[in-house]
Amino acid sequence: MIPLLILCPLILLAALGAVWKARPVHAALLLALALSLIAVLYLALGGGFIGLVQFMVYVGGIAILIVFSLLITRPGDEGEEVARRPKSVALGAACVVPVLGALLYTFGKGLPEPAEGAAPSVPLEKLGDQLFTTGLPAVLAVAVLLTAVLIGAAMFARDFGKNSEPPADS
Amino acid sequence: MKKPVLTLMLSLGMSALVMAGETGPLVTAESLPRLPQRLVEMLLAAVGGPEWLVQLGGMAAAAGTVVGVFLGAFALLSLIERKVLARVQNRLGPNRAGWFGILQPVADGIKMLTKEDIVPAKAEALLHFLAPVLIVVPAVLALGVIPYGREWVPVNLDLGLVLFFAVGAMTEVAIFMAGWSSGSKFPMLGAMRAISQMVSYELPLMLAALAVVMMAGTVSLSGIVDDQGGFVLGFIPKWNILTPWGLVAGLVFLIAGVAESNRTPFDLPEGESEIVAGHMTEYSGFKYALFFMGEYLGLFAISGLGITLFLGGWQAPLPGLGFVPTWIWFFGKLAAVIFFFLWIRATYPRVRIDQLMRFAWLFLIPVGLLTLPVAAVWHYTGRGLLGWVLCGAMLVVPYAILTVLYNRRMAPATRRYQFVE
Repeated sequence: MIPLLILCPLILLAALGAVWKARPVHAALLLALALSLIAVLYLALGGGFIGLVQFMVYVGGIAILIVFSLLITRPGDEGEEVARRPKSVALGAACVVPVLGALLYTFGKGLPEPAEGAAPSVPLEKLGDQLFTTGLPAVLAVAVLLTAVLIGAAMFARDFGKNSEPPADS
Repeated sequence: MKKPVLTLMLSLGMSALVMAGETGPLVTAESLPRLPQRLVEMLLAAVGGPEWLVQLGGMAAAAGTVVGVFLGAFALLSLIERKVLARVQNRLGPNRAGWFGILQPVADGIKMLTKEDIVPAKAEALLHFLAPVLIVVPAVLALGVIPYGREWVPVNLDLGLVLFFAVGAMTEVAIFMAGWSSGSKFPMLGAMRAISQMVSYELPLMLAALAVVMMAGTVSLSGIVDDQGGFVLGFIPKWNILTPWGLVAGLVFLIAGVAESNRTPFDLPEGESEIVAGHMTEYSGFKYALFFMGEYLGLFAISGLGITLFLGGWQAPLPGLGFVPTWIWFFGKLAAVIFFFLWIRATYPRVRIDQLMRFAWLFLIPVGLLTLPVAAVWHYTGRGLLGWVLCGAMLVVPYAILTVLYNRRMAPATRRYQFVE
């Protein structure tokens, strides 16, 4: 319970900061912070594998991707972003309030009794077994999707390279 | 004022030693590196500390041992590296501070500490400060999970390998922070190069490690080392590097490891002749030294992981050498691997960025992927002639095809560069 009480406010603050910051790089770094804090939360709750994978995928993959795309694009106008803020806040609140309300309503009806004893730990071997037996269709579907995305990205990059050839020297 | 404290500590330490003497030998050659941990635990238990305090103190002492050993090794390596490079280039190297320059690391440390700490006016002060700190943390974390000896595994995690790669992600974020927060163009270019290079070379690194995981059936680094114990024909160790798939995966791991730790010939992120010092350009004093510390600790970590995965970890190279403590074998192998890295650095020129990316995506990743089916075939054929022939063919034929293909399309050619008008 204690890690939950310490980490959850931090996660929320980092996530709010990620939305609030006008400078994209700050927002991206705060997002990375929020994602890594979630990984820490998983670790604190005893989910070793999912915590490390969360860190590897979301901080090592997603956050780096965002950061890298920030590096190779031109920064937008921060003033414009700030000027848009009231509208954004209204829109965000409109999205958040129903979700939060539904959550609170569900909690108000009472939580299910926690299971007896320690949380079940799934050994990695069992996880792998299940992924490649019962979960095989899902794994294959994801694999096909990712391959298609990869090929698509390669073709896109190729066409892009052709069309945007730098002007000839001399 | 301090004397009574000292006396108290000494007497407590002595009593702890005596107590331990009654229950058995305090330390053997094998468990020598764990001596600080056991001493702290006994000391805390002797003063009547609660259970959690004893455990916490033991953990802190174990972590302190690893950090202390590798910081010492870092200081030593900074000297040895310059000595080796000098020897290769027919120079003397540092030889003024102490005998044969042995005090050079101390002199360097004092110089770095006394330098002015400059933060550029355009820099983001907080991120600029955090980046060098964040770059050391993952390296130390990664060093914590490596099994250095049979009885010396600082943190024996079931998920050791996953943790190693997970914390590696932090390095990239730290380099980005350093490059971006400096508010200058060379660090920015260096960070871009570093991130694209590290993302590209992380894939072959993981693929090579994955082959080992497939064969060992575990991601626990201790389990992987145990899997490589024993000898074939009575004298050839069962190290992964001595199998066809392991040899190829090991070479892929070696190359990707050099690139991942940003060392020559893949040190484009800090290419001095092009972008000053890359992401470290705007750093001075001890922050600059921290970047180097991160780089060298990372080098130790990646070498340690390579040894664990492919070179049998702390296993002895020949039978009948069981009387030597296992951690001596580990550090012997580490020294050999580090020397190999220095040798590479002294020999090869820096590659171009397009060569670098092409090499990762068009060669290392296909070869890394190839090691997985080869490892599967090896699993079913077992150690023997059939396995060697089948796996060898599976590796050599695609390699030949790749070579012919790439030689035809991307052979080294004379390039003409023109100034842009």
